[in-house]
Amino acid sequence: MRKLIAFILSFSLLGTALAQQPGRRAQDEATETLIRNATILTVSHGTLQNSDILIRKGKIAAVGQNLKASQNARVIDASGKYVMPGIIDCHSHTMLDAVNELTYSVTSMARIRDVLNPTDEAVYRALAGGVTTANLLHGSGNPIGGQNTVVKFKFGRPIEEFIFPGAPPGIKFALGENPKRTNFNPPGQGRRYPATRMGVEEVIRDAFVRARDYKAAWDDYRAKSHNNKNLIPPRRDLELEPLVEVLEGKRLVHAHCYRADEILMLINIADEFGFKIRTFQHALEGYKVAKEIARHGAGASIFADFWGYKIEAYDAIPYDAAILTRAGVSVSVNSDSDERMRRLNIDAAKMMRYGDMTEEEALKMITMNPAWQLGIQDRVGSIDVGKDADITIWDAHPLSVYSHVETTMIDGEIFFDRQQDMTRRAEMERERLALEKAEPNRPPEKGGTPPPRPRANISAYSDDDDQWYGGQQER
Amino acid sequence: MAALTITAALAAHAAIPFARAQEQQSTTGVISAYAITGARIVTVSGANIERGTIVIRDGLISAVGASTVAPADARVIDGAGLTVYPGLIDSNTNLGIPAPAPSPARGGGGGGGAQTPAISSPNSAQPVGLQPEILATDFIRPGGDQLEAARNAGITAALTAPREGVFLGQSALINLAGDTPQEMIVRSPVALHVGFTPLRTGGYPSSLMGVFSALRQMLLDAGRLRDANAIYERTPRGTRRPVQDKSLVALFPVLAREMPVVMYADTEREIIRALDLTHEFNLKTIIAGGLESWKVSDRLRESNVPVLLSLNFPKRTTADVPEADPDPLRVMRQRVEAPKTAGRLATARVRFAFQSGAMTSMSDFLANAEKAIENGLARDEALRAMTIRPAEILGVADRLGTIEVGKIANLTVTRGDIFDKKASITHVFIDGRPVDLKPATEKEKGAAAAASSTAMASGTWTLKVKSEAGTDQTVTMILRQEGERVSGSLQGDYGPAQISGGSIDASGNLRFTARVTIGGQTTEATFTATITGNEMRGTVQTVGSSPASFVGTKPQNSDE
Repeated sequence: MRKLIAFILSFSLLGTALAQQPGRRAQDEATETLIRNATILTVSHGTLQNSDILIRKGKIAAVGQNLKASQNARVIDASGKYVMPGIIDCHSHTMLDAVNELTYSVTSMARIRDVLNPTDEAVYRALAGGVTTANLLHGSGNPIGGQNTVVKFKFGRPIEEFIFPGAPPGIKFALGENPKRTNFNPPGQGRRYPATRMGVEEVIRDAFVRARDYKAAWDDYRAKSHNNKNLIPPRRDLELEPLVEVLEGKRLVHAHCYRADEILMLINIADEFGFKIRTFQHALEGYKVAKEIARHGAGASIFADFWGYKIEAYDAIPYDAAILTRAGVSVSVNSDSDERMRRLNIDAAKMMRYGDMTEEEALKMITMNPAWQLGIQDRVGSIDVGKDADITIWDAHPLSVYSHVETTMIDGEIFFDRQQDMTRRAEMERERLALEKAEPNRPPEKGGTPPPRPRANISAYSDDDDQWYGGQQER
Repeated sequence: MAALTITAALAAHAAIPFARAQEQQSTTGVISAYAITGARIVTVSGANIERGTIVIRDGLISAVGASTVAPADARVIDGAGLTVYPGLIDSNTNLGIPAPAPSPARGGGGGGGAQTPAISSPNSAQPVGLQPEILATDFIRPGGDQLEAARNAGITAALTAPREGVFLGQSALINLAGDTPQEMIVRSPVALHVGFTPLRTGGYPSSLMGVFSALRQMLLDAGRLRDANAIYERTPRGTRRPVQDKSLVALFPVLAREMPVVMYADTEREIIRALDLTHEFNLKTIIAGGLESWKVSDRLRESNVPVLLSLNFPKRTTADVPEADPDPLRVMRQRVEAPKTAGRLATARVRFAFQSGAMTSMSDFLANAEKAIENGLARDEALRAMTIRPAEILGVADRLGTIEVGKIANLTVTRGDIFDKKASITHVFIDGRPVDLKPATEKEKGAAAAASSTAMASGTWTLKVKSEAGTDQTVTMILRQEGERVSGSLQGDYGPAQISGGSIDASGNLRFTARVTIGGQTTEATFTATITGNEMRGTVQTVGSSPASFVGTKPQNSDE
């Protein structure tokens, strides 16, 4: 993943420069944008030829032919171009200063919101791959992990503007080898409970028993405190509060899993406590229990073709998405990787090769379906009037390996533009030369430390890559 | 074990002050007053006195003015050509606080492998690192090279705080001279320090996410205990008594905004996180570090949060070699912007004071302040940021920070303007007593001489490491020795790593730590070795595993 960094360096840093241009924002808000004469992949209602999209105040105001915009509207001629909704990645660990809190088996008090890094260049690269929204998840080190955050990739903006407005809160669960520590143990830690799938199940059940008791204690206090002001309230417990929200259906559960038996196990626990799993993440054996997942009402967020990297990942097949979809499950294709995130369109296209998925079904897996899985389907995921203008323009069909993103917009604002990127590279080079001459950037006159070498052993797969980062991620 | 080490060290120190105190009683009777006559006096509180006299008596400034006359019993210093400034204040340091004891080599085995904490609070219900009740004053040691280096740089007082933890503990404002810890203390406690550094003990919180969750939970718990105590005091009968927790009790003044919280934050996002936490719990916050604070200046001003701005500006340390990747623009921009920060904060009307920021050479304190001036900071603002501003922010402006009658006689005296490159520090007074100054140049000459004769560590070493499991690893180590300090880096099977905390003594005993990568995991490793000629033998200890032994060799004349 990091091998490419040097290569992409100038490319990625351009984003910072673009984002720092003053006045860009005011202009974007003031004007309308008209995308003209495009092939529009609406995802919700088919493909529209030679059609226009009118964007006003960050929303899609009209879709159709021969649309009229006001005089000062920005007009983008998209003749011969393809337009699709911004891609949504339902499983990412990008732009985070920490991924896992690996100490406890239940870390529901940990919040991804606390560790966002809006300057991460991976975000700009993702924009260049057409991704506009991502579900930033806690790692898979614990049966119950931390709280996730859904963001729009408004690269260059303050942290607050990244947060997807109104997205329902969620939480990460994890089953199998990662939480039971089959393949790794963090430095400085001894063995931790649980060490088996039985233990994982017990940890989750125990947590919900505690959450139920906690809720009861507060309900009891609230009932009694009306006529007794000298009652000491129960302790607010940041670990159990989010689990109470899960019980109340206010927080979406995204559960990392591989095997069919553990998927059924979690469905049983959810049924026992009366809550729902929103997504099974990875779910490499989801095809074995597709009907059960469908009956529970959960979605599945999978890898296109990525398997065999550990025992629990051996039984995967490329038809997972097709079988789940045919069973009525909402399926998304996710990246779980800064690198794969840049080409989710290709991973979606692979789904047409396996199981005869249609073009629209493939596109849904990176747009409408992840939108539903994150509870933001009313805002994004398709090109429909009233939705956020999160739009990507491509120079060829996005399911083709020959396509490039030309423009990526979020809320009608351009956050990536290939043309601008190319033209500003010379400017970046001039800035680099000037900076290199500055005194603090000159090498020491004598001695000095040798340059750092790239990390030698990068984990071959990202699902566990996040394990190694733990709290020590250096970004 | 750690406690023992500290006790022993303290005992060793305690013996010296006793002897010194005896010696002093015979001298203090003789000279209790000093006068600097005919000097330029920069009072900071008012107009400069171009030619005046300042009188010090019994540790305080007793008179100052153009027509002040030196009293008969005062030792007179001819101030012609000298400028007297209020004693400089370093607004955030670890001066006088012992460094964490390096982990003793011990056997591996499950569960072990915690770094030995430097200091901990007895009978605390909270783990080490989450103990806000720790007081810097309980651990301060007088004397030592670091205090001396700070005094030589003209610094007379400093805020000092423990070094480690999420809650580092409560800081003290100390004068940098004094024979006992008690004599040094000007004010304690000053502030609670929050470092946001995950614990390395293997316990919660081990990530930045966990750090914020743990902080939140403790602040909530403290608020609840405070309220529960109030209820219990009203109606002890029929109420179950709240379980007391001294760590939570230590947070009561923080929640009441009576005690400020110094939060360590450099980048824009770190500062924003600190401000978000400040807002969430209505804390009285001070940012320490502040490298990118200029990017958040509006919010800092609006929330009235001052900055203890580090003068330890980042600069490139890697050698100029063709195979190196170019530095990212982001990093190069940050280095160029750093000296501009102070001027920008001043323009944005954000209160700030300078701190040394763990710089290795204390002469950078004034040298980098000069750079800040070259980059847009007014000279008088620069001086205030190391005198009255830290005194105000840290709550000692009524006793330090300006030259006014009745204030503590901390003075920094220079020949030439203090921000002039050619200026030299001629006298430093702390608590009304002159400090022995060792001119930096002579000291450096001494160190250089020592280094040339005993630079046995410098050079490129090849280490063969044999672990308990029997796997052999090869590590290339490039070391550079300057006096007793050793710096450098590792390459090879442990991944690239910078070494830190490197030291070597006269008999060739080398010690340093580095964050190495073993089997995909990055972990702290402590290297100890003894050098004999071109060979070294020693062990490397990583957290949670048994020590591995190594033999290192250095080809002849590989010295850099």
